[in-house]
Amino acid sequence: MIKKIKKIIKDFGLSEIRAGMKITGKQLTNDKITVQFPEERTPISPRFRGLLALRRYPNGEERCIACKLCEAVCPANAITIESEMRDDGTRRTTQYDIDLFKCIYCGFCEEACPVDAIVGTHIFDYAFETREGSIIDKEGLMEIGDKHEKAISKARQEDSKYR
Amino acid sequence: MMVDIEIEIDGKVVHGYPGESLISIADRQGIDIPRFCYHKKLSVAANCRMCLVDIEGNPTPQPACSTLSSAGMKVHTNNEKAKTAQKAVMEFLLINHPLDCPICDQGGECELQDVAMEYGSDISRFTEGKRIVDDKGIGALIQTDMTRCIHCTRCVRFGAEVAGIVEMGATGRGEDLKIEPFLSEGIQSELSGNMIDVCPVGALTSKPFRYEVRSWQMNSIQTIARHDLVGSNIFTQTHKNKVKRVVARDNESINETWISDRDRFSYQGLNSENRVLIPKIKVKGEWKDASWSDALDFATNGIKKNAKEGSQFGTLASKNATLEELFLLQKFTRGLGSDNLDYRLDTSNPFNAKVLESNISLTELETIDHALIVNSYLRLEQPMINHRIRKATLNGASVSTINAKAFNFNYRISQSVLTSPQNTVATLSGVLKALLDKSSQTLPGYLNSVTIDQTHIDIANALSNAKHPVVVLGEHVNGNKCSDQVAQLVANIAKASEAKTLNASLTGNAHSAERVNFKPDNGKNALQILSSDLTAFILFDIYPNFDCIESKNAIEHLSRDDAFVVVMNSFDDESVLSFANVILPIASFYETSGTHINVDNIAQSYSASVKSAGESKPGWKVIKVLADLLNLEGFDFTDSSQIADEALSLSPSFSEIEVPISNSEMPNVATVWQYTPYASDVVVRHASSLQQTRIGQMSEASVCKATAKLLKLSEGDLYNGIPVNINESVAEGCVFVHTHLPRQLGVI
Repeated sequence: MIKKIKKIIKDFGLSEIRAGMKITGKQLTNDKITVQFPEERTPISPRFRGLLALRRYPNGEERCIACKLCEAVCPANAITIESEMRDDGTRRTTQYDIDLFKCIYCGFCEEACPVDAIVGTHIFDYAFETREGSIIDKEGLMEIGDKHEKAISKARQEDSKYR
Repeated sequence: MMVDIEIEIDGKVVHGYPGESLISIADRQGIDIPRFCYHKKLSVAANCRMCLVDIEGNPTPQPACSTLSSAGMKVHTNNEKAKTAQKAVMEFLLINHPLDCPICDQGGECELQDVAMEYGSDISRFTEGKRIVDDKGIGALIQTDMTRCIHCTRCVRFGAEVAGIVEMGATGRGEDLKIEPFLSEGIQSELSGNMIDVCPVGALTSKPFRYEVRSWQMNSIQTIARHDLVGSNIFTQTHKNKVKRVVARDNESINETWISDRDRFSYQGLNSENRVLIPKIKVKGEWKDASWSDALDFATNGIKKNAKEGSQFGTLASKNATLEELFLLQKFTRGLGSDNLDYRLDTSNPFNAKVLESNISLTELETIDHALIVNSYLRLEQPMINHRIRKATLNGASVSTINAKAFNFNYRISQSVLTSPQNTVATLSGVLKALLDKSSQTLPGYLNSVTIDQTHIDIANALSNAKHPVVVLGEHVNGNKCSDQVAQLVANIAKASEAKTLNASLTGNAHSAERVNFKPDNGKNALQILSSDLTAFILFDIYPNFDCIESKNAIEHLSRDDAFVVVMNSFDDESVLSFANVILPIASFYETSGTHINVDNIAQSYSASVKSAGESKPGWKVIKVLADLLNLEGFDFTDSSQIADEALSLSPSFSEIEVPISNSEMPNVATVWQYTPYASDVVVRHASSLQQTRIGQMSEASVCKATAKLLKLSEGDLYNGIPVNINESVAEGCVFVHTHLPRQLGVI
């Protein structure tokens, strides 16, 4: 009996609405947390593993030395590399393809790379319109690397003290 | 038999022989001791110190490779003391070793890398500058990165002990110690590629293979090298259906752990631009690409039309073809009612009697105490057979030669007789007479008029004084018009001196051809096929301007209007295009399954390592389909092993005829035309790196002063297209041509 009376008081006293309005009232004055993607973006950890890219040294020379460790470590077999001796006698790739359908963004390739050539960028919103578009070749990867070099090197810099 | 002793390694009681090194006992027991300088086939140097083990009662750890076992020894390979010593050695070795594993071709198969994973430290304590060593080029086959060298001296010991030419050596001391070639010309040995295999680090790697694929990407397939009489056991390492590298496979009774450079680097020929990839037919003088069915129809129709009788049909096959191919080809030819078939194309006197058999095994060759080498530069022609003889010489055997030229063997020749081809019969008769005189046997009639001189007596003495002599007959006899008499005399000499014989005159897979009787019983032999009025031919992997002894005549003969020539080739060749009517592309080495029978009569079967290039098909399949199209019986094979089984069940009977020895008329000057080992078959001729070596580039017609005067030749003139070199190492009355260029001779 007493339970019933308590419930009637609670219901007619609008206690739940008051509790809800209390939160609404609080949030009215707080900073908003909704992000207007893609105009606005959330912060990203320097360790974020997004779209892959190939980097260059500051003098413009490609970093990759075709050691194929990334190809060997890749759990999804997403990387295909062909190598040769370039005219100056250095070991270089002639083909470096990544199949983004296969890639699972585990970052093992970046961990394996002895020269920091293959890296995960902070790009995660991208699309391709054809099926073949999922395969990015060496040129495409270098282009991504060139375009985002600043962000990439900044992220490595920030993370370096934890390594 | 030596006495067995018991020692204890890591608490395990194991058996060994007194005087056996600890490391070899441990290896047999599967107990792992790290090592760099120790190699089971080389002498013990004990200079890397990696195999230090703790022996109870010994104050300091001892190297397991140079410490000999004695009864009751207690050895610990991985206790605290041994491990500390090994780790310390590892740290020293890594002081100067560069950390360039990612770009090193040895990466992934490197002994140093493997051992460093277990014994190396994570962090280097070495802060001083690292040593850098300049690379001197050492030829087209081996790439050097001497900064990576850890001075194990395996390559130096290999050169001195196995190859027999000391080409690499250690110069300088301490920090300045370098392993480098003594001469700027680079490495010349015909076994040099083995240095790549023995090098435990990436200092010596394969040059043609440089930066191509990583070791872990390749499949290793067991197969057999087909270039010589030995049939060395090899692995072909393939990636994406291409042979990327060939390495040796251990087989103590055949090639031990070594292979010749020819076997190692010939695979490059497979990827040559000159491969025939599509069937082609010639219609009204124009070559057209065709489908397989059209080309096969064209071929069968041509054979039917041009060889209405079997006797108008002839077949020639390469001595490097597989047993299966040779068997089916002879079945095909005989099925058509023809007995015109042969594989002895470079022989100017293809005789039928089996005169000289090989009756010594490769391992037995090591135990001989005298070898008489007749008409052969064994070192280049049969490197692995030569290696066994060299091993025998290291144990005290002596070697004498009867050759047209004084060759540069890698062991000492005690008696060297220079004899031109036309005098070979006389010289061998002299040796035989001296031998028979010595044992006061009755002389056969033909020896009565033979005069003997001191050299004959010396050789006869060496042979008769030896307990286990061997007589080797080599390839240079093939061009000799009296080759049957030479073979008979060699057999007679062997009989008179109770010597074993080794017939190395027909190389490649010639033993298979003999097994399936790929030569005429009553029909025409190679020379007759190429000079009589046959109207239909099958040429199997033959390139007449290289392979046929009378190449010019052969090509002219095959170019006749009424001749229909079916060619099964794996490589394009302009002279073949000029006379062929249809070209059927066949699979080359490593692309087909097959069987090789070696000099010991060991049949070794192998499977294909890669798919055949382009649209080419394995030879046995092409022959089978041709036979089916011509409704021949007995070709119901679905697998090459069925063919091999049937072929190996054959035991052909040979007519053992005594060849009469006569003093036949011979020309005043005879030519010995010998290809360099890197021009001996079509695959190796297309192997670009081998062609760049000193041996591959060799092309000279050696002639002595007197003969040069007779032929009006002077230094640098061209003798049949080959530059003349006048020197006195050649027998009088003889031009010795050693070249990689095709024959331009009508008759030699």
